[in-house]
Amino acid sequence: MTPAGRVTRRTLLRAAAAGATATAAGCAGGGRSVQVAVVWSGSELDRFREVVATYPDPVRVVSAGNDIDAFLRARHLAGTSPDVAILSRPGLVTEYAARGWLRPVRPSTEYAVPIGLSDLLLTGGQRYGVWVKAAHKSLVWHLPSMLPEQPTSWDELVSLTRRLGALARRGDGPAPLAIGAADGWVLTDWFENVLADLAPSAYDALAGPDADWQGRPVRDTLDRLAELWSVDGAFPGGGRRALLTQYEESVIQVVRSRRAVMVFEADFTAEVVGRFRSGPEEPVTFRFPSAGTGAGALIVGGDVAVVFADARGGVELVEWLTRADSFRPWLRAGGYLSPNTTIALTDYADPVRRQLAREMRGPDTLHFDLSDQLPGAFTGSDGVGIWRIMQDFFSDVTDGVSAGAAVRRATGQLAAAARDAGGGR
Amino acid sequence: MSQVKVLGELAVLDDVGPPRRGRAYPAAGATSALLLPAVLLLGALVLWPVLRTLHASVTTDGRWVGAEHFRAALAAPGTGAVVGRTVLWAVLVPAVVTALGYLFAVASRRSEEGGLVRLILLVPVALPLVVTGVTFRLMYDPDPTRGLATLLATRLTGRSADDAPQLLGPGLVTVALMSAFVWAWVGLAVLVFRAALDRLPPSLADAVRAYGGGRRHVLWDAQWRPLLLRTVAVVFALVALGTSRTFDLILVMTPGSVRDDAAVLALRVWQTSGGTTTGQGAALGVVWLVAVVAGMLVAAFFVRQAWPPPRVEATPGPAPTTPPRRLFRLLAAGGAVVWLIPLVVLVATSAHGQVDAAARGWWSAPPGTGSYAALLGGDELWRALGFTLLLATVVTATVLVVALLAAYPLAWLTGPAAQATGLLLMAATVVPVQVIAGPVNEVLGVVLSSGTSRGLALVHVALGVPFAVLVLRNAFADLPAEQVRGARLGGRRWWGTLHRLARHNLPAVIAVSVLEFVQVWNDLAVGLVFSGPEATPIGPFLAAEGRGFVSNSGVLAASSVLASVLPVLLMVLARRQLVAGLVSGGVR
Repeated sequence: MTPAGRVTRRTLLRAAAAGATATAAGCAGGGRSVQVAVVWSGSELDRFREVVATYPDPVRVVSAGNDIDAFLRARHLAGTSPDVAILSRPGLVTEYAARGWLRPVRPSTEYAVPIGLSDLLLTGGQRYGVWVKAAHKSLVWHLPSMLPEQPTSWDELVSLTRRLGALARRGDGPAPLAIGAADGWVLTDWFENVLADLAPSAYDALAGPDADWQGRPVRDTLDRLAELWSVDGAFPGGGRRALLTQYEESVIQVVRSRRAVMVFEADFTAEVVGRFRSGPEEPVTFRFPSAGTGAGALIVGGDVAVVFADARGGVELVEWLTRADSFRPWLRAGGYLSPNTTIALTDYADPVRRQLAREMRGPDTLHFDLSDQLPGAFTGSDGVGIWRIMQDFFSDVTDGVSAGAAVRRATGQLAAAARDAGGGR
Repeated sequence: MSQVKVLGELAVLDDVGPPRRGRAYPAAGATSALLLPAVLLLGALVLWPVLRTLHASVTTDGRWVGAEHFRAALAAPGTGAVVGRTVLWAVLVPAVVTALGYLFAVASRRSEEGGLVRLILLVPVALPLVVTGVTFRLMYDPDPTRGLATLLATRLTGRSADDAPQLLGPGLVTVALMSAFVWAWVGLAVLVFRAALDRLPPSLADAVRAYGGGRRHVLWDAQWRPLLLRTVAVVFALVALGTSRTFDLILVMTPGSVRDDAAVLALRVWQTSGGTTTGQGAALGVVWLVAVVAGMLVAAFFVRQAWPPPRVEATPGPAPTTPPRRLFRLLAAGGAVVWLIPLVVLVATSAHGQVDAAARGWWSAPPGTGSYAALLGGDELWRALGFTLLLATVVTATVLVVALLAAYPLAWLTGPAAQATGLLLMAATVVPVQVIAGPVNEVLGVVLSSGTSRGLALVHVALGVPFAVLVLRNAFADLPAEQVRGARLGGRRWWGTLHRLARHNLPAVIAVSVLEFVQVWNDLAVGLVFSGPEATPIGPFLAAEGRGFVSNSGVLAASSVLASVLPVLLMVLARRQLVAGLVSGGVR
């Protein structure tokens, strides 16, 4: 079968399908709704439906979950791509754009995002996506009563961990850190925060085609992580147990069973806290500590809206999503952090999010989640890519392997994975 | 019905029987029309994808590269361990299931409590493997305040929670998975062995005794040689093939960090292929495919050779066999209690609210209905259940129609043609869906649209048809000639004959319907690969709910219970027809 023949037939089929849809729509007497595939599910999905309910035209939202990439590939093969998709990986945006699946978008005049985010969505000088939701990924959570004084630097965090770890080993207190190491993304978030603090310029290069995964910045970062993670008694139940602890359980260990003092993760931790908190005490957060003075790096995750090439009505919806008050229902309901800096801070209903939004507008250099930008399988999934490599590293350093050996093994694996995925050198 | 049935084997593995005499033929022109739907479905959604995968495994962008992908895939770190683990699964687990199945079948015979024991053992067979995974992950939770097995292990070994053996850790995770699989499959082995034992002519044992044989001789000459050897082979082969579907268990039971330590080929192919079929993923898929089909062939030939011609005597009535000894009955009762524990854990966990189930064990908090209230209040579970019900009903009805039409002309086939058809159908039955996912998606993309409910239903139908054709064909072919003649005379037209045949073969039709319905209802892999976002079947729904396992275990257990009610009910109610339908046919 020639490629041309295939295209012709698909076009024919698509035309037939479109005709059938149009006939059906005509019979129903209504306009065609815009179809949006999103990564969200559960309450996030409900909130987003509330948001698009205020869009003038009908919008149909379908949840494709975490496997949205596979879903969109299949739909593309079948010629039934949705009009708009909301993706959690900017790497996918550039990939799809390079294949010609997407059409350029234009944000509204009320749209501005922090420097560093915007560039990720450009391919060949064209903008193929806009940020619609952000996640602040540089937070450490704890109950005030469990930790009266917050560490302000990396060294303080390490010495605090050593002190509390010694107490925990004797059975005199909770472990200093909870960590959901069964979920690889928790470990990559640790890695990214340390790396962005240590070597901000190397951070962005690692996402590119010339990434050097065996260079000094990566080795130093892993060294620093090994220094903290190898502290005896750092985690409740030890390293082996931590590797079987999922992210949400690690939050429960801090806010409910109180087997650990601190847990590091993004602002969406508030949702788990809300479900499992016992007693009236609200947990508080501090920024992921820096090795130097001042605030540490700021890692941001986020979701991007894109429009597919043969979409009808998608561009207008995406433009509308970037307006300052489109997401107001979600802002009011809480649990939403906007990447859009033109939104008034007073629009945030919860004070935590207001504070985080303020931090995102600060003078810090902001970095987008690195593992979400990596190509192919390197980006990670359960048992795959950088997730798996970080888990191996965690397992090594908590199991008594020397930091040097563990770092050598990890950088070797990282470089190999980057090569397999078609990047790095 | 008075037709002859010699039991002891499942029809699915015994399709290479000796030539059948022609009895009555459908109109010649009708034959091809009757076969057409099945041929189209299997050709487009099984055969073509398999060929396409074979092609992809030896080419890169259409260019011939020989064995390069195979070399690369097999040399990749970890592949050796994955293949080894897959083989271990295919050898060790069937051996354990077969042995336990035989023991329980013997021990639960002809005693009052035996029926209850068998009923308990049957329940896990009907559960979706996803639910089995949820259940055992709850039991093996590494926290002794939540995981019953971990609590017992810490008590028994006297070690602290941190040092206790952790079944979900990298060292023991395969053992944990295997225990769940054995739990789920022993009931099936018991059913088959029970049927075989019941059909053993007691006169044979008497004869052996009359010639001065002891208990050992009775076991050997009156049980093992005539019937059990073959049954053992069938059960072993069936379970071995079943272990290629450990995918569901691994996805649900293993935390992300130990997934590689538990991976088998099923999972590796799925992880590396990413929904498309290219290069190394295709090569691994071909390796897997060859292994499964080879296993199927070996099983088929072994079963055939082990089979002495059946001496069919009078239908063995309720024979005056003595009930098993007390020790055996105690063993059966003990087994039933052990088999009940996971079910108790699942139900007890479901009777706790989200917070309680996450923070402490079900035994240390008073039960409540919080999780059920949260579930039943929302509409997500209802939507998933409703969609699955619709899907399973539509698929079952379609499979039945297509398979009845195809089985009718195939039943008159004789000689090598019959054997070849049987082998092809069996091969189509065992093709793992993960291997052919990419090409199937391409086909769906051309004929419908992939990622839609219709596409999902179509794949289920294509995967369900070969098994249904096998069973129905064997059932039709084994009807005594006079009955067929009667049907021909009474029906006058072929569809009248077909109708009558179907009515006379009701157990087979019921067996096929129930098994197909339960299979679709319990499915994870097909739903995971082919379902669209507009509707999620219950299997992938549960698997997705299990992502945050601990924080969600109360609700997850409750949805698992609700998702299991229907398949368990169906299997328990239809268990007699299942055995009768499956083992009828295919012997002569």
